[in-house]
Amino acid sequence: MATQNPATGITGTTVPAENLTKKTRIGESIIQGILFICGAISILTTVGIVYILGTESLNFFTRTNWSDTNKRVIVDTSAATTVLETAESGSPVAVGDTIRLQDEIMLITAIDGTLVSVTRGLEGTEIKEHRAGITLERASQVNPLDLITSTNWTPQLGNFGMWPLILATIMTSLIAMFVALPVGLATAIYLSEYASDKARSTLKPILEVLAGIPTVVYGYFALTFMTPLLRNIFGDQTVSIFNTASAGIVVGILIIPLVTSMSEDALHAVPDSLRQAAYGLGATKLETSLRIVVPAALSGITAAFVVAISRAVGETMVVAIAAGSGPKNFTLGEDSLFSYILNPFESAETMTGHIVRISGGDLSYDSIDYNSIFAIGLVLFLMTLSLNVMSRRIVEKYREVYE
Amino acid sequence: MTDEQNYYPEGAELDEQIQKRHRGGTFWRTLFQASTIIGILALTALLYNIINETFGTVAVQNRVEPDKLILDLAEDRILNAPNTDSSENDNILVDSLDDDPYGISFFGYAYYTENSDRLKLLQVDGVEATAENVANGLYPLSRFLYMYTTEEVLLENQAASIYLNYLLTNINREIGEIGYFPVSDSTLSASQIAWVQNSGFDLQPGQWATISPAGLEGNVNIAGSSTVFPVADAFADLIAAEGFAANVDVQSVGSTAGFRAFCVDETADIATASRPIQPGEYQTCRDNFLRPIELRIGIDALAVVVSEENDFLTDITPDELALIFTTAENWSDVNPAWPDQPINRYIPGADSGTLDFFVETIFPAELETLSRETLIQILQANITVGRGRNLERQQRFFADGFAFDDPDLFNEACAGEDPPTGCTRRVRDLENVYALVNQEIVQPDVMQAWTLVESIFNQEEIAAITAEEYPYAELEFRSWLTPEFLVTPQSSTPEFAGVRTAILGSLWVVAITILFSSRWGSRRRFTWKSMRLRTG
Repeated sequence: MATQNPATGITGTTVPAENLTKKTRIGESIIQGILFICGAISILTTVGIVYILGTESLNFFTRTNWSDTNKRVIVDTSAATTVLETAESGSPVAVGDTIRLQDEIMLITAIDGTLVSVTRGLEGTEIKEHRAGITLERASQVNPLDLITSTNWTPQLGNFGMWPLILATIMTSLIAMFVALPVGLATAIYLSEYASDKARSTLKPILEVLAGIPTVVYGYFALTFMTPLLRNIFGDQTVSIFNTASAGIVVGILIIPLVTSMSEDALHAVPDSLRQAAYGLGATKLETSLRIVVPAALSGITAAFVVAISRAVGETMVVAIAAGSGPKNFTLGEDSLFSYILNPFESAETMTGHIVRISGGDLSYDSIDYNSIFAIGLVLFLMTLSLNVMSRRIVEKYREVYE
Repeated sequence: MTDEQNYYPEGAELDEQIQKRHRGGTFWRTLFQASTIIGILALTALLYNIINETFGTVAVQNRVEPDKLILDLAEDRILNAPNTDSSENDNILVDSLDDDPYGISFFGYAYYTENSDRLKLLQVDGVEATAENVANGLYPLSRFLYMYTTEEVLLENQAASIYLNYLLTNINREIGEIGYFPVSDSTLSASQIAWVQNSGFDLQPGQWATISPAGLEGNVNIAGSSTVFPVADAFADLIAAEGFAANVDVQSVGSTAGFRAFCVDETADIATASRPIQPGEYQTCRDNFLRPIELRIGIDALAVVVSEENDFLTDITPDELALIFTTAENWSDVNPAWPDQPINRYIPGADSGTLDFFVETIFPAELETLSRETLIQILQANITVGRGRNLERQQRFFADGFAFDDPDLFNEACAGEDPPTGCTRRVRDLENVYALVNQEIVQPDVMQAWTLVESIFNQEEIAAITAEEYPYAELEFRSWLTPEFLVTPQSSTPEFAGVRTAILGSLWVVAITILFSSRWGSRRRFTWKSMRLRTG
């Protein structure tokens, strides 16, 4: 249909207005859906892991552990009696304790010398006759305070102090940090600021080979190379075959490429104009690198450090192989602080190493050992989570945005 | 006073400051470079460590010597050959052979000398058994006679020590009388040096002193070979005549029992033997903290004899002997010139060291050169039927027969619902059977392993340790990473272990990971280039 514009006199054809709103394209929405599902799966997986960790750890804290009191019932008990005649020997029981005689669970209501009054047949257990000579078992639960107040980790014996494991983890991680952070950062500065393009393109892939080697190989590297080296330097008497120093150093070597790679990326991202400006003000290359570029890239470098620390804390195979195969239980005040508890040349078992060793054996479901590894896992998770949160905070706080 | 804020150095001061800043710069630059090098060094150390542990010298000792397998087999064939009479009593052999023109026999030289009027001694390879030929090692059928003792005995039992001193002084003069051959002078002085080094007497190796045995008291217990018995016994009489007051007890129980009394029960001070101590026996001794000292005291020669009435034989070769005592039925089968008459074989019994020795000399063969059938025979003789059946169910030995099983049983198994793999897979080839013999019977054990660096720089020390600790072990250079390592499944013995199953497992995990993380999880299209394996 031809129309004419009355003002200009130009004639044209009018076209019906096209609908420009979004057209539904079936293929696209399917793809979107798939992408959403993928994202949801990864989030749900994380949630699932946290859920399992939580519930299993809860089991650990709420489960009833039966420990033998070595106190015998010295007279046969019929189904009708509510007073048990017990021997004097064995560990004492108290009013309010839940006890177990064979399969029958009872609650102690009163104690008169060796006579113990009980309510019988609790928790749906069958009231039965019991012969003399059977020992009482007392119910106990894991006290969450034990985790941080006790210094002895032997779950089968009812000792739940997590310090030996935590200390070992902290020690290996610290040693790894002392190796990886200075070396990694210095390497990153060299590669980013000093090395020629050719040198960088050769050296960086070589360093990244270190990251591609399976950690179990690093474990045997620690055991068959680093430990003998340390023993040669410090003496066989000083250095145990399994020790945290060797494991820590090798974990450090393992994360050097991580620190280097991430820090180098951060340094490289600093705009060249900053360097040029520094040179223009008469700064030397060193001054430019350390006073201009490194501070500018600080958030990236810090992020690299924190990721590296998380990696060191969570590192498993190296410490499982080289650090030791038993928690280094200690008693504060009795054991020397520096020659035993914090001695890096003694063997110790880290949290991850302990989980690997315990779950590598024949572990029956719902045993105390089984539950305990989830509690360790939860603590480990909290440690790495707080490190990650910290790294985000640091990154946000020190981020410098250019252009 | 200068204002710090606005002070700018000039001239020499400026130059100095610039230089200082440059020096600082160089220092830090070096430090940064050193850090990079540390990382690369760590990688180098890691690779070095892996390579160092992957290659190296190993001391390998066989559980069963391959030679022994072949000898057992040959001995079996000799004993089961037709027209064969065997007896532990050599006199019966002599009597039977006496009037049999088509008979042949072999036994200790001493018995021939006793009956030389009735028997005809054959030359072997054209060499006659004379004292000279035997001592030179020219006569093939000769063997050393041994005595074994230990350092502890020599130091603590003076009577035994002096007895051996007397024996080593006079042996070459007396042994001819007893019916054996003397050893060469160098062999005798080697035995004397062994005595000197371990007896605690103030002598240098090479020196020899005869110590008077007169008036010495104590006990000397000697046990072992019946072949050496006449020697030990004769010397007991000889030394007693010199005024030796100790009680010498010589027992003839056989070489093997002698070693048992010597190493295990420790009731014998001296073990006598007509063969060298075997690796297993040596190891038993070492397990009991004894180190046997070997003394070679004489040579026994086997006489291959025929009847005086035999008119066609004067010389014989080892190859002919091998045929005569095993597969040949008639003399003409061996040599067409000989009569077409059945061979009558008279041989010492299976328990005698003489038969062992004969077999050992006549049938030298390498395990590698044996045929598939012979190897299967060795397997049949040396592994349990149960194990054999098990192997046969995995893979057959013969297409039309069964090595370990009753044919009916095996047919039944193959006709069943779930037939074993042995029914369908092709039969084992020579290589496979050889590997089985090696793995099931010979069982080469790695006694000790050294790293590559040790293997290169401490060769002498390794050889010394091996000679001291594992004298029957052989040193060989081994790469633990071999093509077989990649394709064999895991095993509880490191020598036969491989990583095939582990590799397959890893590939499986990698495949599933790729499927989940790269194909669907990543927005980028999956390419091999984009794939980066991260381990941890």
